[in-house]
Amino acid sequence: MDLNDVKALLLRNDPSFWPALDSLTRQATEFSDLVFLSSLRKKALARGLKQTAEVPAPLRLAIIGGYSLYPLHELLTHLLESAGTPVELFLGDYDNHVAEIMDPESRLYRFKPQVVILLPGVQRCKYSGTLTDERQAAQACATSTATQLLDLCKTLNERSGAEVLLCNFALPARRDLGEYRARTLASDYTFRKWVNLELSLNAPPYVRICDVEFLANRRGALASEDPRGWFESKQPGSPALLVDLAREAAHLIRAIRNPPKKVLALDLDNTLWGGVVGDDGLEGIEIGDTSPRGEAFKAFQKYIATLKQRGVLLAVCSKNDHARAFEALEKHPEVVLRPNDFVSLKINWDPKSDNLIRMAEELNLGLDSFVFVDDNPAEIEIVRQFAPQVSTILLGSDPAEYVGQLQDCGLFEPRSITKEDADRTAQYRAESERQTMLSSATDMDAYLASLEMVALVRDFAPVDVPRLSQLINKSNQFNLTTRRRTEAEVQALIGRPDHTCFSVRLSDKFGDHGLISIVIGRVSGETMEIDTWLMSCRVLKRQVEETVLNELARRAQAKGCSRLEGLYLPTKKNGMVRDFYPRMGFQTRSATPERGEYTLGLDTYEPRPTKITVKENP
Amino acid sequence: MTQAEVLTRLQGVFDNLFLESPKVTPQLTAKDVAEWDSLMHISLLVAVEKEFNVRFRVGEVEAAKNVGEFADLIVRRMTEK
Repeated sequence: MDLNDVKALLLRNDPSFWPALDSLTRQATEFSDLVFLSSLRKKALARGLKQTAEVPAPLRLAIIGGYSLYPLHELLTHLLESAGTPVELFLGDYDNHVAEIMDPESRLYRFKPQVVILLPGVQRCKYSGTLTDERQAAQACATSTATQLLDLCKTLNERSGAEVLLCNFALPARRDLGEYRARTLASDYTFRKWVNLELSLNAPPYVRICDVEFLANRRGALASEDPRGWFESKQPGSPALLVDLAREAAHLIRAIRNPPKKVLALDLDNTLWGGVVGDDGLEGIEIGDTSPRGEAFKAFQKYIATLKQRGVLLAVCSKNDHARAFEALEKHPEVVLRPNDFVSLKINWDPKSDNLIRMAEELNLGLDSFVFVDDNPAEIEIVRQFAPQVSTILLGSDPAEYVGQLQDCGLFEPRSITKEDADRTAQYRAESERQTMLSSATDMDAYLASLEMVALVRDFAPVDVPRLSQLINKSNQFNLTTRRRTEAEVQALIGRPDHTCFSVRLSDKFGDHGLISIVIGRVSGETMEIDTWLMSCRVLKRQVEETVLNELARRAQAKGCSRLEGLYLPTKKNGMVRDFYPRMGFQTRSATPERGEYTLGLDTYEPRPTKITVKENP
Repeated sequence: MTQAEVLTRLQGVFDNLFLESPKVTPQLTAKDVAEWDSLMHISLLVAVEKEFNVRFRVGEVEAAKNVGEFADLIVRRMTEK
C-alpha cells in the first residue's frame, strides 16, 4: 500500500480509504507525504466518503504563538483526524498570543478551547544584557522569561480550563561564540537551555511541555532550522521539524485522554533471550555478557526492569514448555527478570490472545491497558485479530535495537512517578492469585483459515537428506521416539517399499516455515508401525498434527494396512507429547513410565478436517 | 537541462501530488488549478527541491510568475550549484 494506492481508493469512493489513510499516516516520515495525505483526507471529506468508524465529538484545539502556524496546523489536524479525533481549530494571529491570552474578551476565549498549543517565538527568548554581565543577571532574566510564559499558561488555564501544551525552544545549531558559548549564561545557547530547564521543572500539572529542544536534537539541529522559511513565512523550523512537532503534539493530546499502559506482556524465546529454551536448553540460550548477542538480550531485560521500577506491570506470554521456560527464568545465572518480577506467567501452548484475555481477567484490568511484545509476526497477528484492544510491538530482527524500540513506543510515559509505583507488582500479583483461571474460547478456526497455510508433503528424496537428518537429530520436544539417524541411514530409507517416509514443509501468508515435520512408518503385515513422528514446536496447534495423521492413514491404507501403531518413548524433553496419541484418537494398548503403545484402526478412519491445503510431492 | 526537459519532469511531480493533475505548460499558474492552494504550494516546493536536488534562495520562488519562469529558475539553480 503506498500513496498512489490510497489515492486510487479515494477515486473509487472505497470506504477502506479511511483505515488505509490512517495506516499510511502513521508510517509517513516526510513532510510532503503527510501534506499529500492531508489533502486526500480533505478531499474525501468534501466528497462525503463514508467513514467506517463512528466519529466522536470534535476536539476544540487552539494553536497560538510567535510564528506562522500554517502549515503546522495542517499536519497536526491531519494526524489527529486520520486517527479518529476530529478537530475544531482556532488559529492565533502571528505573534499575537500575549494579547489573546491577556484579553478576557478575546476570540480565543470565545472559542472555548479544550487544548491550547502555545508556541512562543525564539526571538523573545534572549538575554537583553551583554556577554560580560554577572551570571546572576542573566540567570534572573532567564527565570523571569520562563515565569512570564508559565504565568501566561496559568491565566489561560484559569480563564478557559484548557490544558496547555507549551513548546520550549530549540537550541542554536551554529557555532557562534565557539567554546565560550557554554561559559556564559548570556549566550543564546546557554540562555535557552536555562529557560527550557526552568519551564519543565516548574510547569504545573495542567501544562505539558512540548519539548522542541529534544525534538530538534533528535532530528539534528541543522536539519531542524530553516532561516529561509523564517524570512519567507515566519516558520518555526524546517518542514522536517514541523512533522516532528506535529507528531509530538498529537501524541501529547492523545495522552491527555488516554492514560499510559499498565502491563507489558513479553514473549520469551528470541525476545527475553536468544534461542529456543525448549530445544537449546538452559545452557544453550543466549543471555549475558559472554557474547554480544547475549549482552543485547541482557540489556533489554535490564531496561524492562527499569520500567517495572516506574510502575509498569510485567507479564510473560510465551508458547513454551512451562517447566523448561520457568527453569530458565528461575535458575539461569544471567537472567535479570525472575519469576517474582512478573504479575502473571502464561507459559503454555494456547493462543496468546486467549492468554492475554485470561491475564486481564485475573488482574482485573482492561485489555486496553496491555502492551504485547513478540519477535514473531504470526503471534502479533493473532493478538491483533482476537484481542485488538491490546497494543502490540513487533520486535525487529536485531536484539541490539530492542531497547530503543521499546523506549520509542510512547506507551509507558508517566505524568508523574510515585514511590508506590515501584511496589505495584506485589499488589497485582496478590490480586491475580485470588482470581481463578478462566478459559476463553477464541475462534481458532477463523484464525487458522486466515493464515492461508499450505503444507507440502514429500517422500524422502536424496536432495533433502541433509535437512532431514539435521531435524531428526535436533528435534527434542515434539518427538515421539527421539530416534536419531545419520545421513547414510536416512538415505537408506529412500524408496523402500516396506516403509513410508515423508516430510512436511509449511508456509503461510507470513512466509515459509521450512521443513517442520518428519514421519517414518514401517509396514509389518497389516500394521503400520510409526517409527518416528516429530515436528517443530513453532507450528504447534496449527493442525499440522492432523494433516500428518491424515497423510499417514492414507499411505498406510494404500499399502494394505488396517491399523497404525504408535510408540511413545519418554525423554527429559518430550513431555509435551506424552498424551499425544490418545489425544489423536488412538487406543492405549499399554502405558508404563518407560514406554507407551497405542493403536488406531483404519477401517473406519475419517480424515480430520483442517485449514491446511495439502500438496503432494509437488 | 532545458526548460522543456524540466517541464517534463515537473509533470511527474505534479502527477504525484495532485488528485486531478493539470497539464504542465509554461503559462500555467496556481490560479488556474483549483487544487493548487497554499498548502499544495509548500508541498510542491519541497517535492521539487527533492526531485531536482536544488535549493532555492530566499524570496526567489515568489518572484516566478508562472510555471515557465519556475522551470527557468530550476535550470539556473541546477547549473549554478
